[in-house]
Order: sequence, then C-alpha cells, then structure tokens
Amino acid sequence: MRTLIIIAVQITALLVINRVGYTLAAALHLPLPGNLLGMLLLLSLLATRVVPLRWVESSASVLVRHLGFFFVPITVGLMSLGELFLDNGIAILITLVVSAAIGIGVAGLSSQRLASTRDRRAS
Amino acid sequence: MSSWVTGFSIVVTIAAYALSRVVARRYPSPFTTPVFFSTTLIILVLVPAGVRVADYELAKQILGFLLGPATVSLAVPLYKSRRTLLTNTLPALAGLVVGSLATLATAVVIARLLGLPDVIRASISIKSVTAPIAIELAPILHGSPTLTAAFVIATGMIGAMFGPWLMTVIGIHDPLARGLALGTISHGQGTAQAVVEGELQGAAAGIAMGCAAVFTSVVAPFLVPILG
Repeated sequence: MRTLIIIAVQITALLVINRVGYTLAAALHLPLPGNLLGMLLLLSLLATRVVPLRWVESSASVLVRHLGFFFVPITVGLMSLGELFLDNGIAILITLVVSAAIGIGVAGLSSQRLASTRDRRAS
Repeated sequence: MSSWVTGFSIVVTIAAYALSRVVARRYPSPFTTPVFFSTTLIILVLVPAGVRVADYELAKQILGFLLGPATVSLAVPLYKSRRTLLTNTLPALAGLVVGSLATLATAVVIARLLGLPDVIRASISIKSVTAPIAIELAPILHGSPTLTAAFVIATGMIGAMFGPWLMTVIGIHDPLARGLALGTISHGQGTAQAVVEGELQGAAAGIAMGCAAVFTSVVAPFLVPILG
C-alpha cells in the first residue's frame, strides 16, 4: 500500500513536470517538444538538488525501463501506411542505412580524435 | 461497440508487449526488440480482426497517457551519468553535435535525391532522435509521428546491428567514442548495444542519446526546411 502511494505521488509529480514543459513551450512559442522541456526541467531540479534523486527515482526507473511500451500504440498506426512503405521501401532503406552509417562514422571518429589529443596532453 | 474494440485493442497491446519482453530475453536479436516485435504482433492480430486505425485511436490515447512522464524520467539516467559527461565534455559534445548534423543532413539530402515525398523527408530527418521526443518533434516539422516512430525504430535496429562492426572496420576503438556514436545515431537501441560493450560505452551512449535529442530538437526546425 505504502509503495503504491509513493508510486502514485511520484507519477503525479512527473505528470505535472511534463505539463509544465508543454505549457512553457506554448507560452514561449518554442518549436520544442514539451516533454523534452519537461525532461530538462527535471534534470535542472536534480542538478540543483531542489529535488533529491530518491524522490523520483523508483517510478522514473520503471517508466524508463518500459519506455518502449508507450510508443508501441503509435507504431501500430503503420497498419494504415503499408502502401506508402511498399511504394518507397527501397529508397527509405537506402536513406536510413547510409545516413546511419555516415552519422556513426562521423560521431565516432570526431570524438575519438578529440579524446586522444586530451589523453596525450594528460600523460 | 466501440468500447469493445477499444478494450480489445488495449488487451492485445499489453499482452503483445508482455510477450515480447519474454521473447526478447530468451532470444535476444534486433528482430525481437520489444517495440518491433510487439508492433508486428499487434498488427497481425488487429488487421484480421477487422480493427482499423480509426478504431484504435482511443486505445492509443489511453495507452499513451504515460508517455510524457516516461520521457521526463529520462532525466534520471542522464543525471546519474553526469560524471562521464563532465570528465569528457569536449569529445562528447563535439562527437554528438557533428554526428547529429551529419546524419540529419545526409538523411534529408538522400531522401530528396531518391525522390521521397515531403512527409517522408520531414519524418526521416529526425530518425536518430529517441522515439518519445521524435514523435512530438514530427508535427513541428510537418512530419508524421507514426512514420517518424517507424524510422526511429528502424534506425535503432540498423545501428545496433551494424554499428559496432562498422566502427571496428573504420578504426574507432576508443570506448567513449564507440558508445557516443551508438547513442547519438541509434538512441535507446544503440545504448542497449553499448551497454553490452562496457560500462563507459553504456554511459556515453545514454548521455549522447539525451543530448543529441535536445540538440536535434533545437536545430531541426531551422535545418530541415533549408535542406529539404
């Protein structure tokens, strides 16, 4: 019972922070997802120790572990987009594979280059 | 009638997800990732049962209720791995910024060269952003949340499957750089793969996933119209 109440309170707090994120995005006319602002808000509350980690940790960990579940209902919408996919399948696959490969190569090589200059300076 | 359909859709969705968790644990592979596996399963049940997308809408809204708080919760792992970021600030930020720009630009340009329609170009541009944020970013770019979600998940699978091999071939051996590249491009699925490589790789990937999502969300509304 106690655990249930704690989870309910924590999830309510996370819902409120999320709501604040959306309100902020709308009020400031920011072209940013409200849930992203909510995430940054919680991060700053944790970093400034206004909110101790243990206040949100247990529910947040459960939600993050099952994050995938919450977008399954959205991908199910693909059942009406099958045709669009079949018509453009090869082009989509090429775009996805090539852009992923270039992104991984560029991200990995640039950070490895900088990490190695830092290591040399440190030694 | 419609409440029956909604109830049925909810039960099918939850059951498919629960089953996919078991399958993913027993037969780990990119094709058994819970999101991919359960989506396939749900469509295979709903379509023959005569449930159409419009009938599923209410179930989708009910089940998506906690998506916002779950996204907000990503702040917790990000906060926990802050030490990794603070000790590697420059290589980490440079890698994820350059990598995010490179993947966004190549995706939009290739999609354009191959003649893909506007809605696909907009939706595919943010395929490296973690799904809960990409879904919300898509309408801002005039893309489709559903298409974006599919591209995000496909990108996660592609990166997790071929990323480690590609990096070894082109000589990326630094553990921070490997984790960072996987998290930047393949978000959650890339992070899961990076965790398998090691603790530093996993932490770097988690940070990259969060920071790349923030960075891409800020630049995409300006860059996508210019490029595509």
